[in-house]
Amino acid sequence: MSTQLTRDDVRHLRTGAHFLACAIDPTAIHVYTDMILQAMEHQSLELTTVDELASDDLVVAVGMVTQGLFIADMPPVGDEFLGCINAMEASLGRRVRAIYPLAAANINGMIPLMVGLQSSLPVIDSDPMGRVFPLISQTTLSIGQVPISPIAMMGVTGEHALVEANSPQRAETLVRALVTELGGWAATAMYPCSAAQLKEHGVHGSVSRMIRIGQIQDSETSVERKFLMLAELLDATRVARARVSHIEGLSRPTDLGLPAQPSSVTLEDESTGQIIRLEIQNEILLVLVDGAIAAAVPDMVTLLNSEHGTVVTLDDVRVGNVVDVLTYPAAAQWYSHAGLDLTEPKAFGIPLRHPRRSHA
Amino acid sequence: MRIGLRLQETSCRSLVLDGRNIVSAAREIHADSLAEALDSALSGIRREFGSGITDITADVGRVLASRKLANVVAVRISPRPPADAFHVAGLPALVEPAVSRTVHVCGGHDMRGRPLAPLDLEAFLTALPGILSGDVRNVAITSVGSTASMDHETRIADAILSNDSEMRISISSDFFSSIFRDRDYTAILNSALMETGEELAANLEAAGRRHFPAATLSFARNDGGRAPLARLAMMPVHGLRPEPAMAILGAATLAGVPDGEVILCADSGVSVGYTRRGLPAANSLIRQGYEASLASNAAVVGSYTANHLTRPDVPSVVADLRTDQKTPPPFGLIATLPSTHDVALVGSAAAPLTSWIDRLETVSGRADLKAVQHRAEEDAQSAAVQLGANPGQTRIIESNVFAMPYGNPGIVRIRVQAAGETSSNNERFLATEPRGATP
Repeated sequence: MSTQLTRDDVRHLRTGAHFLACAIDPTAIHVYTDMILQAMEHQSLELTTVDELASDDLVVAVGMVTQGLFIADMPPVGDEFLGCINAMEASLGRRVRAIYPLAAANINGMIPLMVGLQSSLPVIDSDPMGRVFPLISQTTLSIGQVPISPIAMMGVTGEHALVEANSPQRAETLVRALVTELGGWAATAMYPCSAAQLKEHGVHGSVSRMIRIGQIQDSETSVERKFLMLAELLDATRVARARVSHIEGLSRPTDLGLPAQPSSVTLEDESTGQIIRLEIQNEILLVLVDGAIAAAVPDMVTLLNSEHGTVVTLDDVRVGNVVDVLTYPAAAQWYSHAGLDLTEPKAFGIPLRHPRRSHA
Repeated sequence: MRIGLRLQETSCRSLVLDGRNIVSAAREIHADSLAEALDSALSGIRREFGSGITDITADVGRVLASRKLANVVAVRISPRPPADAFHVAGLPALVEPAVSRTVHVCGGHDMRGRPLAPLDLEAFLTALPGILSGDVRNVAITSVGSTASMDHETRIADAILSNDSEMRISISSDFFSSIFRDRDYTAILNSALMETGEELAANLEAAGRRHFPAATLSFARNDGGRAPLARLAMMPVHGLRPEPAMAILGAATLAGVPDGEVILCADSGVSVGYTRRGLPAANSLIRQGYEASLASNAAVVGSYTANHLTRPDVPSVVADLRTDQKTPPPFGLIATLPSTHDVALVGSAAAPLTSWIDRLETVSGRADLKAVQHRAEEDAQSAAVQLGANPGQTRIIESNVFAMPYGNPGIVRIRVQAAGETSSNNERFLATEPRGATP
């Protein structure tokens, strides 16, 4: 069913998009929210389900791919995504009927709304990650063998490229190299597919889930009540309430060709005495409690300020801070063998298999 | 002895500190003008204490905040101008009216410091006569990627100054934020405050020299430190909101807590901050909700709630600053400091010189990382010495490395704070333990 999004929906989406990706500074989300709210003064915004579309309608993922300068340091001028959609249509010789987020978190959870307003295309309440992963190959569409190409890209300089690659992994390498030279980010349109393919292989309800998370987080209720509501919505568990005792940069070796910046955060749970360790590489990949795995990618992790219940961005974590470590499962597709092959810790260079591997 | 001052439009509040002891409690002088109030306040202190004053630090935040902002020309450097109105960098409502004109110049760098586009200096020089012929004397220059390379900002600044050396110019690379709109906002606000900063510095200099010619004159910074008056004319934005930091530092100073938690019960509510090695724990941004943040190092102050977790091994100071103290402080707090003190003025009097290094570095591994961090620590201590600190009395307060998620491989952010005292001050007010491992 299609829904007209309200301004409040967009504000809640902002909160939810940050909640699901606490590793990244949310400023770009805030900038895009302002743009979307301004644009909504003149135009309505439609969120549709994949069921609303004809099964052979062409749909594409839109999102930023970054490696370098932050989006917030080099804001888009505004024509990049429209340029990508035009290039995609020219390449395929067909009109795009709807767009969907490349990732249902952080900036890529917001961008389709602005693109929808600019292009008058409906935004689909589905995505191929159900969260955000660092690599464009880490999608449920990849698991479903849906081609990633062609990939239309445009940087802030106005320079653009169309990438045809045989595999998502090869596309990742090519796109990442281009992104670096385009300045640090590129607007992209990729994974062109039919609505039927997205319906079969996508993660559904992911935009409305962000809005629901935001509704809870933005509500005037107690921190504990919010936690209970989030626990019910996301099947979340509070692994620990712990104080940050150590932060370490470049804590593990990494492949210098891919976005990485591994770091670790050590915390102490003062009530249980447990030691909690977070392993981070763009996103929080691993939560260890006294050395045992409490959560491992693709599981999702959010840090909350224990006093206020607000999301703690990794940039703001300091020694002495007390945070709640929340973990919750990712979309079901990620716990299949193929899903875990793409996203378990081993895929990020950490020699560990996901605990659910034996049950997958 | 050291004087802490708080200036307002036509008044001056002062306090004198000797070590950690208040020897002259806060007094407020009202006059017809700020210059008169300042002169009267310092004159009174001189009569009482003679020439025993070594340092004078003024909190000028309230004056800066109350003055009308000067008009500013905003120069924005990026590869392309915004294609529509939605993609124009938004400014907080307070500052937006101060921007009389916006000029786009093609240019900018990526995070590796490589040009994204050649600087279109020629086009800017064509527009320059129009900028210089107007009434506006303040310019703010912000370039994409100026945390990695300030080249395009400085070339535009040089072009302006070579045509009119009287222009007041603020460049965004003087303020660390990896977010364009934060640097743009900070440079614009800084530029808009420079004239007031010059005036305040001149007033303070004149009054200080008249009454205490041997004393060091400084202004209070948002991070709980101080900087020489000359910097106030160039970087007024760092003196815009020092009161929260100074209140934390003041309460910690009176309680003798260099590393601990400071809870302030005020009429507006209860807030909490922390001290670390004798200074308030600081963030590099002053956040303002969803709007652009001010890129100025400032004390981290949060609201205190019933969920606040107290750490038993960390000393805690509770200062009751409420006007009406008939009822006990909220949340069952028990004040540990006498309520009569103006703790923010104590903080101003006690503030050390502080300096920051905040920059991007390219590293190839952990050994390299250690080397660049050590170099940044040396640079921060040198910067404190350049502010007037005694080389033997500088110390590192914070030294951190931040990964840059989704950034270029090998590029990290190094952030170091150093503090120091002038040679006239052999006493450190909040003595700290020797520094161990990186916090």
